Amino acid sequence: MRADRKRMGASPLLALPALGLFAIFALAPMIVVVVLSFTNYNGISSPHYTGLANWSRFLHDSTTHHAIWISLEIMVLSWLIQTPIALLLGVFISGRQRYRSVLAAVYFVPLLFSAAAIGITWKNLLDPNFGLLANLTHRLHMSWFPVSWLGNPGLALYMIIFIIAWQFIPFHMLLYQAGARQIPHSIYEAAEIDGAGRVRQFLRITLPLLRNTIVTSSVLILVGSLTYFDLVFIVTGGGPGFATRLLPLDMYINGFERTDMGYASAISVVLVAAALTLSLLLIRITGFGRFRSSHEGA
Amino acid sequence: MRRLFHLNIPGALAGLVWFAIVALPVYWMVVTSLRNQAGYLTADPLVPGKPTSAQYHRVIQVGFLSYLRNSSVVTFSVVLMVLVFALMAAYGIVRGRGWIASGTFRLFLLGLAIPLQAAIIPIFFIVNKLHLYDTLPALIFPTAAFSLPIAVLILVNFLRDVPAELYEAMKIDGASEWQMLWKLATPLSRPALLTVGIFTALGAWNGFLFPLVLTQSTSTRVLPFALYDFQTQFGINVPAVLAAIVLTTLPVFALYLLGRRQLLTGMTAGFSR
Amino acid sequence: MKRHTVIRAAVVTAVALAALTAGATAASKKPNLVLWTIQRTENAVETKAAKTYKPANVKVQIFANDPFKQKIKIALGSGNPPDMFMNWGGGGLRQYVNAHKVLDLTPYLNADKAWKNRFFNNVLQTAAFNGKYYGIPNVGMQPVLLFYNKAVFRAHSLTPPKTWADLLSVVKSLKSAGVTPFILGGQSKWPDLMWEEYLVDRVGGPEAFNAIAAGKKDAWLNPDVIKANTMLQQLVDAGAFGSNFSSTTYDGTVTATLLGTGKGAMELMGNWEYGAVLQNAPDLIKNNDLGWMNFPSVSGGKGNAKDIAGNTSNFYSIAKKSKNPAAAVAYLKKQIMSKTYVKGLIALGNIPPVKGIASQLTTGSNAAFTTWCYKLVNSAPNFQHSWDQVLSPNAANSLLSGLDQLLLKQITPEQFSAAMNKAK
Repeated sequence: MRADRKRMGASPLLALPALGLFAIFALAPMIVVVVLSFTNYNGISSPHYTGLANWSRFLHDSTTHHAIWISLEIMVLSWLIQTPIALLLGVFISGRQRYRSVLAAVYFVPLLFSAAAIGITWKNLLDPNFGLLANLTHRLHMSWFPVSWLGNPGLALYMIIFIIAWQFIPFHMLLYQAGARQIPHSIYEAAEIDGAGRVRQFLRITLPLLRNTIVTSSVLILVGSLTYFDLVFIVTGGGPGFATRLLPLDMYINGFERTDMGYASAISVVLVAAALTLSLLLIRITGFGRFRSSHEGA
Repeated sequence: MRRLFHLNIPGALAGLVWFAIVALPVYWMVVTSLRNQAGYLTADPLVPGKPTSAQYHRVIQVGFLSYLRNSSVVTFSVVLMVLVFALMAAYGIVRGRGWIASGTFRLFLLGLAIPLQAAIIPIFFIVNKLHLYDTLPALIFPTAAFSLPIAVLILVNFLRDVPAELYEAMKIDGASEWQMLWKLATPLSRPALLTVGIFTALGAWNGFLFPLVLTQSTSTRVLPFALYDFQTQFGINVPAVLAAIVLTTLPVFALYLLGRRQLLTGMTAGFSR
Repeated sequence: MKRHTVIRAAVVTAVALAALTAGATAASKKPNLVLWTIQRTENAVETKAAKTYKPANVKVQIFANDPFKQKIKIALGSGNPPDMFMNWGGGGLRQYVNAHKVLDLTPYLNADKAWKNRFFNNVLQTAAFNGKYYGIPNVGMQPVLLFYNKAVFRAHSLTPPKTWADLLSVVKSLKSAGVTPFILGGQSKWPDLMWEEYLVDRVGGPEAFNAIAAGKKDAWLNPDVIKANTMLQQLVDAGAFGSNFSSTTYDGTVTATLLGTGKGAMELMGNWEYGAVLQNAPDLIKNNDLGWMNFPSVSGGKGNAKDIAGNTSNFYSIAKKSKNPAAAVAYLKKQIMSKTYVKGLIALGNIPPVKGIASQLTTGSNAAFTTWCYKLVNSAPNFQHSWDQVLSPNAANSLLSGLDQLLLKQITPEQFSAAMNKAK
């Protein structure tokens, strides 16, 4: 009997503290949010059961539908903007030239700031009365250039996408830099001898060998932009009107500003379902989930 | 000689453009934080004026140090909790056998996909029920919980590389699994623990949503939320707001100067392959 | 030798510790009170009252306006509320009263007639429900006025508009001179409401909103309401609010600075903006260039040109779950609207809703302003309390979003009224 237990290896009880904490604050909430979505809960009094009321509202609420659309727009546009820039610049700074590492040191500075810091800085920079942008366009006599980005329902979303890109491109640049650094220089030299130009080398060598990184980066961008909250909340709060009210913001506003936490829970359930589905789908398609013992990692 | 001909002009140009896009806001932030309010309204924003530390004093005066203390307490507690729990769990997963071990691992993998934002309403509900609303533990526990999946993932990946012979050697000497965990696995995992530590610390230090929803008074306020509050508190005094941002970022910036590679590796924890 | 020193050090330490703990326990005998308020120019008066109060340790927590509205709701529901909190009376306070979160002050007020009689009764009524009082005023009466920068008007040879027609022509002249006619903190949304309140009053009279507040069927579909909103959109089309209003936040400093520096010519805002100009653009007042007037009249409208809108006051209420309700009542009685408190408010241009201070208002550095406001409030046939504090919080929320969309020209006045009619 003793021998059997020894063969069992480490006691799974070792995972108990982690599991316990995770269960209470991450798993249990998943169950609670589903339950709450069938109730009317305003944060002050106890929740009471209302059946499918919140769900039927979800099917008809045009603000929430608009929020879904905005979230999708952000997902697609974020990927379209962040991936090429991060990829090209990431590969660029993976080069060994001295000046490139100087540039790289500056490129990574946005990573040091919290979403709150970045949001507040840009919000003030874009202030239409006293901000840097207003001042510059005025002095350079560029009166055709819009000054009130965050107050214009047609422009606010694009500015938000730009600021998000400013925040996250450095991160993805890091990924691409690391990925590009793993490509042996000899491959390029061989191609050089064969007469391949720089563009050809990039398309035929760099891109294919970066496939894993592109997949990782893309998964992070797509799933991340689905649940993005902090920066948009601070910069526009979902406005002007509903122009930047992404789904997580719609959830927060309904839950904590209108104190309709039952409906907000329904939106949360949809968010979880979407995030889970998207993650699983991408993992399945790209084979990302197969973790083998590798020499990278940490 | 061949190096010279590899001068990538379009690349360099693009690189310089992006350099400007990154550097300009940061430069503006620092220069403006050293102005006084009247200077901000009238001066040329790009030309530094006579630097004054008045805004920094102001920010510290309104309680910045206590917010710094709160952020430090939260970050330290979260990192400690995550490192210990995740290492134990990873060890149990890698060295354990049977469905419990692999099931636990799958659970944490799945947990990676749970978005924090979707959980705040139930977490708010649970925190209220536990009478933890507006306390630092209300920030510590959920933050730690959500940092666990990636931590477990990285540590499992790392521990899987540890050769079984090392464990066998210790076992022959009569060591228990518990002793092997602390005497063997922990020292060996140092690089991974450092990565996990940095990643978790940054997440805890910069966390905004949990403080927004789970705390209210100034005695439990942490830095990111304080920044958001400063924005309204100082209003038109933009230099003061930016000074607060610079102060908040200084610790991370110090880390950047001291150990850039470690910091950057920590930030991309396990995502680079 | 060493041992004696050690013993002596130990004794001294012990005595010191004992003294400290005695001091601490003595200090802890004083009740601790927490008071929540919003960020505003009157904070100086509020914090001074707390600091100078000896019988208890009163800690004042200051929140920004919009986050406060959410936080107080959650705090009252979470079982960890502040002892005293600021509110606007009306529907916002009523929801807490109905949820049994607020202490009934009636017995305390009735027991001390002097205290009760200190205030104007109609102001107390804003925080009274079912004949019971739930709050006492903590700032002055807050009518909404049209502030203007006299220097800007002089520079363009214009006179402040007394009628709607005047207003439209002033807007046109200012626009072509490149000056923003009206400063509006559109991002905060509630400044939009001030325009709505005045336009609906001037066009449809007080009865228009009274019907809405009473929950009469289709009250929102009143053609006067739709006409008022059409006029509002007319203003937007004429560029009356400039191009940046929807990204300008009202935080008590920005709009005052804009007015003071002449970046905008006029601002429709509560009378507290006077204090904000004092703090952020004092030269404007020093040079006697800050002007104030009532909202213009609308010819053919049902409302009286002397009607005003605004807040009758703001209030302090006590949470039922407070651990020291008696201490809180004592604090409110002693410090709020005491002679010092009233003096402090008047110095900021406030008009406290307190009896017997008329002489104080006609002297002092802000006499011109305070006397004028006092007269305005006293001779107004109707003082409309802010709509978003009269309606239920959810209806108020829909109102503000609707106004935001209306000003952004995203919906028509008809759509606005239809949506508000359905909102609960």
